[in-house]
Amino acid sequence: MRILKIILIILLLIPKISFADDQLERNKITKNLRCLICQGQSVYDSDSDFANSMKILVDKKLEEGLSENQIYDFFKEKYGEWILYEPSLNKNTYILWILPILIFLLGGAIILKKLKFKN
Amino acid sequence: MIYSVVGYYALILGLISGSILTYFSVQNFRNSVILDTKILSLSFLQLFFVVISFFGLVLSFVVSDFSNETVFNNSHTTKPLFYKITGTWGNHEGSLLLWLLVLTLFVFIFLLRTNNQSIKYKILTTIFQQIIIIGFFIFLLKTSNPFNYLFPIPEEGLGLNPILQDPALAIHPPILYLGYVGSSIIFSSALAATSLRMVSGSWATHIKNWTLVSWIFLTLGILLGSIWAYYELGWGGFWFWDPVENVSLMPWLALTTLLHCILVLEKRSILTSWVIILSITTFTLSMCGTFLVRSGILNSVHTFANDPERGLFILIFLFVLIFISLFIFFFFHKEDQKNSINLFWLSKESAIILNNWFMMYFLSVVLIGTVYPIFLDVISSEKISVGPPFYHKLIIPFLIPFLIAMAIGPQMKWIKSNLESKKILIFLLFISILISYLVVKNFDKNLLVNTILISSAFYLFFITVRDFFTKKFKNISQNIAHFGFSLLILSILFNNLLSSEVIANLKIGESYENSKFKIILEDVNQRSEKNYNSVVANFKIISSDGKINKMSPELRIYNQPNIVTSEADIKTSLMKDKFIVINLVQNQEYFNVRYQEKPFMLWIWVSVLLLSMGGILSFFKKRI
Repeated sequence: MRILKIILIILLLIPKISFADDQLERNKITKNLRCLICQGQSVYDSDSDFANSMKILVDKKLEEGLSENQIYDFFKEKYGEWILYEPSLNKNTYILWILPILIFLLGGAIILKKLKFKN
Repeated sequence: MIYSVVGYYALILGLISGSILTYFSVQNFRNSVILDTKILSLSFLQLFFVVISFFGLVLSFVVSDFSNETVFNNSHTTKPLFYKITGTWGNHEGSLLLWLLVLTLFVFIFLLRTNNQSIKYKILTTIFQQIIIIGFFIFLLKTSNPFNYLFPIPEEGLGLNPILQDPALAIHPPILYLGYVGSSIIFSSALAATSLRMVSGSWATHIKNWTLVSWIFLTLGILLGSIWAYYELGWGGFWFWDPVENVSLMPWLALTTLLHCILVLEKRSILTSWVIILSITTFTLSMCGTFLVRSGILNSVHTFANDPERGLFILIFLFVLIFISLFIFFFFHKEDQKNSINLFWLSKESAIILNNWFMMYFLSVVLIGTVYPIFLDVISSEKISVGPPFYHKLIIPFLIPFLIAMAIGPQMKWIKSNLESKKILIFLLFISILISYLVVKNFDKNLLVNTILISSAFYLFFITVRDFFTKKFKNISQNIAHFGFSLLILSILFNNLLSSEVIANLKIGESYENSKFKIILEDVNQRSEKNYNSVVANFKIISSDGKINKMSPELRIYNQPNIVTSEADIKTSLMKDKFIVINLVQNQEYFNVRYQEKPFMLWIWVSVLLLSMGGILSFFKKRI
């Protein structure tokens, strides 16, 4: 218990650190964009000419004051859904997003039906 | 030339011995008083031929015999000997020969080591395994012969992709395959046991060891692949949710589930159907993975050269295996209806069923995320990408109850138990939440989610640590594995939260500075090796506390094939990795420099090692 107290005291004393970074926003966005000319790499990970010009474009859009989602929409309109690593929820992707949850519920139902739990 | 010829004929002899072996096995199965000694000898002979064939290919690589098409496509005279050898499995044909080697090796060891099971069971397992083996022999000979002859003989080979010329990746395929393909024996014996209606507690004890072996190798194999991706792909990540990575994760998830529920079968003789389904699923997922990777329908960093004919063959073969499995399962398997399964809420078996439920969910997320884009493309020709955000969103919320259950589950006893020392369990939960809150409040993002997530990981961490003291050596393997998992999740989370990175364009003599460090590009020199030339950039990194580090990332220009790779320089320490990599920007004098500080990287690797340590200890437990 004493050790825990010491840990707690140390933790309480840690000063608040700021992790704001000018590149953070851009990195986050480019990680969610696919480099279209690469094999399975994100724009962030790639150093191809395409990816580099995309990075500059993202910077430009950020400077113009677009939000993260607006930037995604911009790229989606330009290049299609393929460029986004997070598929948006629409009629094409209902199954993708919902099926795992359904399987989870179904699994629970099967367990409850097949096995009898007692207290 | 001679090695290729020997290798090729050894392969044909291997196929023939497989056919004879199957014939004798069927004969022996009909009147099985004693095990025909021919079966073991033929299995050995088959293994022997595959080993010869494999060494035939290795030697063709060693002597750079370019009359062999595989060698021509994947090797070069200037390559170091080590990479000539490992190049053997760094390609489609060679890696399939490795598949075959593992398949034949496992059935031979199975025959040799299985002593306390019925003769019929041993023979039937051999027959099922031979069906797989023969299928792969035909696949290899028909679509992917590693010994194709080239004439006129080329002077020089095309070389091995430089990113594959790496020590971790050299041993990654063999280790991974021992797990990946090793699961075939679980598949075969599950089918055999089902056909003979002998799925029972004692069978579970017997098959548990095979599951453990596959699981340990698969875990280590994935670890090696991940370490390789971390330093070789050049951008400091270690898991990309890339389809090919997912394909190795899926059998791992299935194996982990099997490993847990096999304990229930062993102790309580229940869940027979479920164990069979899981055993079949594991290998089917391995086959699916092979199909997805080799057919070329995936867009991945890892894709080898591929062609549709191969994909079609594996797909048909896969369907045959699934059909056989389903037939055997529905025709032979009779669930024991007499004693309906009664469980107590608070019992080890309930906890394991909870584990299985969640594991199956994780598996379905990975499976659907990997396969769905392909289906959508086929059906509506609309292309979508499913990347990290999808997996994170669907997995992380479920990870929280999973971690807590993982902490509490092992506190239970079989059949019926009371939660002892409830106070300490609740106290530790409270402590975990408090610590997490205090840590997370220092960051500006996602306070609530991170606090809950980190608390649940800390909870598992504290409880497993406590168990080391209270339980001592009882269940030590399980505890080490669970402890390793908590450490893994914690390291990944803190790595994610605390990593910082900078991307800058620097010329020689220039520097970049922010509040935490200063990066100076001091000079650049050139180096020449046998198979590549390299440009080494020397950096000085000054941290805010005044510590100075020298780091020298490299650009390698390989001569054959002509590819430029970036070699990161990584300084690993106990608490954090410093990672720097440079890239060339065309027609510019500056380098694109990427510098990252990544805390707890080492702990990610250590925790996976601990996970597999748990498995290894469990494997040897009975023998100590």
